[in-house]
Amino acid sequence: MLLFDILLPGLVLGGMYALIALGLTLQYGVARIMNLSYGESLVAAAFGTLSLYSGLKLSPLLALVLAIPAAALLNWLLYRLLLQRLIRRSKDRGAQEVDSILVTFGVLFVIQGVMLVAFGGQYYSYSYLSIPVTVLGSTLAVNRLVALAFAALIGTAVYLALTRTRLGTAVRAVAVDPNAAQLVGIDVGQLAGLAFAFGGGLVAAGGVLVSMFLTFNASMGVVFTMKALVVVIMGGVGNVMGALVAGLLLGVVETAVARLVDPGLTLAATFALFLAVLLIRPTGLFGKAAS
Amino acid sequence: MLEISGLSHAYGKHQALADVTLNVAPREIIAILGANGAGKSTLLKAIAGLIRPRAGAVIRFDGSDIAQLLPHQIVERGIALVPEGRGVFGDLTVAENLQLGAYPARARDGEDARLAHVLALFPRLTERMGQAVRTMSGGEQQMVAIGRALMSRPQLLMLDEPSLGLSPLLSREVFRALKTIRGDGVGILMVEQNARASLDIADRVYLIEQGRNAGDGAASEMKSNADIQRAYLGQSREPATSKSK
Ligand SMILES: Nc1ncnc2c1ncn2[C@@H]1O[C@H](COP(=O)(O)OP(=O)(O)O)[C@@H](O)[C@H]1O
Ligand SMILES: [Mg+2]
Repeated sequence: MLLFDILLPGLVLGGMYALIALGLTLQYGVARIMNLSYGESLVAAAFGTLSLYSGLKLSPLLALVLAIPAAALLNWLLYRLLLQRLIRRSKDRGAQEVDSILVTFGVLFVIQGVMLVAFGGQYYSYSYLSIPVTVLGSTLAVNRLVALAFAALIGTAVYLALTRTRLGTAVRAVAVDPNAAQLVGIDVGQLAGLAFAFGGGLVAAGGVLVSMFLTFNASMGVVFTMKALVVVIMGGVGNVMGALVAGLLLGVVETAVARLVDPGLTLAATFALFLAVLLIRPTGLFGKAAS
Repeated sequence: MLEISGLSHAYGKHQALADVTLNVAPREIIAILGANGAGKSTLLKAIAGLIRPRAGAVIRFDGSDIAQLLPHQIVERGIALVPEGRGVFGDLTVAENLQLGAYPARARDGEDARLAHVLALFPRLTERMGQAVRTMSGGEQQMVAIGRALMSRPQLLMLDEPSLGLSPLLSREVFRALKTIRGDGVGILMVEQNARASLDIADRVYLIEQGRNAGDGAASEMKSNADIQRAYLGQSREPATSKSK
């Protein structure tokens, strides 16, 4: 059935976008770092998974378990050793954003350069659980369903952690108002570092899951950075539910356009949706009304 | 409990505080009076650690110097600030704001009892627990702000213009709550535009002019002081005063 032929793969893709956007929400919305190397970390995780799978015959699901803490640690070090020092140096919010963009731009080229040296520019993919199954009358590979299931699992866990625990509420408080957060005894610098690290863990998880069913190459990180940014802004910066809903929406719309109109128009569809949402609701789907 | 001396701060070249001295004893209510721009908010921010005081300042709380601590460490010592403009988390609910008030380690024990206490103090918050704070009236937001500060189990509660923008009725409710809070053993240091109402509940008063101490004394004496009446209680235009000229 055509509806499910669009809806199911759309949700798979959208689930990836939602997961990636959730990570960017933590990095940009909470730690206030515009991380331009975001997509490159995703691709690096994809290459890591590929190497473990084809080199050591390790399951991508094991790679998932390894990638999240490893990426979180690397991102935490990046934040503590580099970004936080620059933030302290910057005079105001504007200077801080420019500095973080410059630094992460540099990190982008480092990660991309290493990947180009190691893997060259060609596309890669591997075959893991590429067994076709029929769900609701539409056929797709098991690996996509596995990816969707893990994205849903991780996304739900993060959502619950952010909304139902005191630490999660504190993280959202830093996103809403870092100055007031200090006044309730929150160590804003420490929590921002934690959010940045965890956001890095999420994007690595996205990279592992994406690599199960998409082909990838060393220079495609920017596409993921851009889409994550589109989803975050569309959902309302700093809004967890907004990132989840906007991610799923984007996945379904892109799949519908690719399927019904032309695959070459997916990027155009991305931006048409983006602009439409922002024209109707300038602060995003779940953003607070402009005051 | 709080002893401050030699406190100075400058914003660039502008000297906002110069050599300020101030003391608060346990369970005392202290009101700070001063014109707009006198440096009252700067003083509270310096105590809360939001701005760094100039070297040489002494801010002792319960016997230890807190002048170089960060804001979250100062909350942990037992000083809570309800800032100008309240500083509540507008996107979060009342319940979440109050829960965050108990974020410091010192506040974890007896959190439920303190929440019940805050809701007894401001009963109208009880049915609003699930509401986003930004959708509430100014007075209700002020109650959330004070309640959140109390959730941190402070020994000293600082308030920056708590009645600003509130209706007379809500202002009275807030001042009544402050008296109850002091009754529970919390010291209060407040900056207030409404000098009359603050003199009514305060034990002592400090006057600040252009960033400097300009006098202090018991609130009851201040109320009958002619200069204070003219400057802060708005009595200079009363017929009796103009006739005597
Ligand atoms: N962030 C700031 N930057 C520069 N000047 C400031 C800043 N905050 C306050 N000031 C100045 O410092 C003085 C004291 O301000 P403030 O403490 O807010 O006064 P008050 O609360 O008594 O009205 C004022 O002249 C004000 O203009
Ligand atoms: Mg002020």
